[in-house]
Amino acid sequence: MNSLIVLVPALPIISAILTHLLAAGLGRRVARVSVGLTLLTFLAAVSLLVLALMGEPKQVVSLGGQWGVILFDPLSSLMAVVISGISFIVHLYSVRYMAEEGGYARFFVMLDFMTASLLLMVAAGDLVTLLIAWHMVGVMLYFLLGHDTQSHSAYRYGLWTFITYRIGDIPLVLAAVVLFHTYGTWSLPEIFERLAADPGAETFFGFSVAEVVGSLVALAAFARSAQILLHTWLPYTMEGPTPVSALMHAGIVNSGGFLINRFAPLYIHTGDVLHWVFIVGLVTAVIGSVLMLSQNDVKKSLGYSTMGQMGFMIMECGVGAFSLAIFHLIAHGLFKGTMFLSAGGIIGEARKDDGVPKDDLYTFVVEREAPKVQQPLLVMVGITLVIPVLVLVLTHWWVAPDLYQRQGAIILLFFGWITGAQLLFSTYHMKAANPWRLLGLILVSFVVVVVGYTLISHAFDLFLYNDPEFASQLYKAAGIDIVWFDALVVLTTIIVVLGWVRAYRVEKLGSHIDQRPTHWWMNFYSLISREFYIIDFYSGLNRRLEAASARLNVWFRWG
Amino acid sequence: MLDLNFLLVAIFLPVFPLSIAFNALLAKVKHPLLRMFLFLGWPLVGVFLYQTIEPQVPQWLVPMAIFTAVFYAFRLLAMREVGVWTGFLATSVWACFWLPLLYGDRDVLLYGFWFGIPLAILALLVGGLEKRYGAAYTNLYGGLAQTVPRFSGVFVVTVLAVVATPIFPAFLGMLNIVVASKPLVVIALVGLWALWSWAGMRLIQGMIVGEPSDDRVDDMSMPLTWGFGAVMLILIVAGFAMTGDL
Repeated sequence: MNSLIVLVPALPIISAILTHLLAAGLGRRVARVSVGLTLLTFLAAVSLLVLALMGEPKQVVSLGGQWGVILFDPLSSLMAVVISGISFIVHLYSVRYMAEEGGYARFFVMLDFMTASLLLMVAAGDLVTLLIAWHMVGVMLYFLLGHDTQSHSAYRYGLWTFITYRIGDIPLVLAAVVLFHTYGTWSLPEIFERLAADPGAETFFGFSVAEVVGSLVALAAFARSAQILLHTWLPYTMEGPTPVSALMHAGIVNSGGFLINRFAPLYIHTGDVLHWVFIVGLVTAVIGSVLMLSQNDVKKSLGYSTMGQMGFMIMECGVGAFSLAIFHLIAHGLFKGTMFLSAGGIIGEARKDDGVPKDDLYTFVVEREAPKVQQPLLVMVGITLVIPVLVLVLTHWWVAPDLYQRQGAIILLFFGWITGAQLLFSTYHMKAANPWRLLGLILVSFVVVVVGYTLISHAFDLFLYNDPEFASQLYKAAGIDIVWFDALVVLTTIIVVLGWVRAYRVEKLGSHIDQRPTHWWMNFYSLISREFYIIDFYSGLNRRLEAASARLNVWFRWG
Repeated sequence: MLDLNFLLVAIFLPVFPLSIAFNALLAKVKHPLLRMFLFLGWPLVGVFLYQTIEPQVPQWLVPMAIFTAVFYAFRLLAMREVGVWTGFLATSVWACFWLPLLYGDRDVLLYGFWFGIPLAILALLVGGLEKRYGAAYTNLYGGLAQTVPRFSGVFVVTVLAVVATPIFPAFLGMLNIVVASKPLVVIALVGLWALWSWAGMRLIQGMIVGEPSDDRVDDMSMPLTWGFGAVMLILIVAGFAMTGDL
């Protein structure tokens, strides 16, 4: 068992060393070594997950002194399967994709080291190992993004990513120092035990340890998961090889969600931190989605789509749905990885034949053709509002009747209701021979998605946070005063209903409304077309810093 | 009145403006081997002197040491001459050594080696660049990864080691210094650490990236590459072995 725990992060390191050493003799066939050992890593990770599912208790394996501790628990075993699985697919894909690129063996060596860093990160049982792995992921990503050593732009954007990651390392180092000073150990399980025994421990200047460390860990997670103001690296790092983009969007960028989950035993003792996490996630989700919709470059649009998804993931943590964030990051990782890896093939095929069927969906989405006969609007509104609520409430009641006592669950249900309603209402505009059949099909899809999502996330909850008391403490830590909560729900409902009323008015009055863009709207459009000037600000700051450094060098010469 | 003993130590564990002495000496010393010995020996002399003569340190030493470290780290960002870059980084690193010394950490000599060995290798590599191209400047010839791939590999690994990247022992040394420091100093140190990384990556980028140049230059020989690789490997293993009880 202990060997298996160590083997999972060790195998990719062995693979990297072997690939490097055998490259001269085996030539391009050396990729088989790397792929084979990554498959072995995946199988070993699956074995660990099976053991965890069978109820094997949490274990720590120490490789020596106070650090170098590998942790086996449900979270690490699940994440190891995800990372090694995605890494295996990326390896396999790269065998042919990278065949005509220079530095073929080097690419696989770097990919193996990246896999090892990620596996070590999720299995780190102490703060030093976590810091090492966390830092190494940034370094490896920099060199993977800059695989083409002739491309200045690849390195330029790689450097952006690296600097953002290093900025994100700073709060994690600070968090580690605070925890070490407070508890005198690097071991994560020990720290969490002592924290549970004395949750009111204070650090310097009288701040609560849980609050300070929780905030610092959240900041580190924000940088890694491209949250607002620390997001600029993500949409621009498309110069690297496609397999690296897939790995980055499917695995690396999700690290923030993992980190917050790793520190879950700390977050149950925090007061306001999760509220800030929620707000940052929410703003990121909204801004990411707005910027995604406003891009005319498909790759940048994908980058902002990932940013929006990461916002949702962090938002889920902010409402206390930690296990849901893990499910989200896995689902998003698989979905986005598939998109990146299949993009090239699909573009190639689309050049010959777009293959898009000229059906109802096509006329609605592409041709934007309105249906000739529409169903009564009020009937559609009624169906739209009532059915998602029924589906969501019944499904959640089925898995956990006490769910409605958790504010986080209410927020997620609310969100599900609005998106479900939007989806159903879209049928109103669609040109369909049989609109009721179309509505029925959408409803079935919606029920399948909601039931699937609810059941799987419930299963994740049971697996990752088996103790119901612990899970409810997480929701409690994320909760706010009930009066404020109800007020916010009412306010949001009013905003949504006003939006729907406006949509109804536009629908009824049609061309009678002046639809020319207003001055305000044009300003907003210019703001999003410049991506809120955040990138311009950072570029300007970078130029000024470099100029200041150069000026100092001129003044002081070599001294 | 400043203690003269302190001023003597502050030349070897540089505090601005006394730090100018080391950089002036480095500008005069051109031979790579002599530079290598300077990087290895300079801070050790400082630590030895401090522990032997026990000077009276002024109240402002900690902020001044941090200022010196940040000042030279910041200047790295725009420094294109790799030899001077190495000297600035060494000055920035050695200024930090005051902190563990003041906190009574006996491992400072070890930190001197953790940082000194990769600095010394970098000095040798600068000599190699000057021999091949006549000068060691970033963004001058570029594309080293294409022209001299083995040399580039060693160069990249050495720069990573010298800016305290894991898994090199300088990372663990720096972590030790950070852990031993007071809260506000910790914040300055982690910012400084990020500056080193930024400057290190800019240096790497300025050297290895780009189209291959037309100059015909020899790459590093295979035995020498393995030699440098072995030194790095020993450094990593020794770092792990000696910092297990961090």
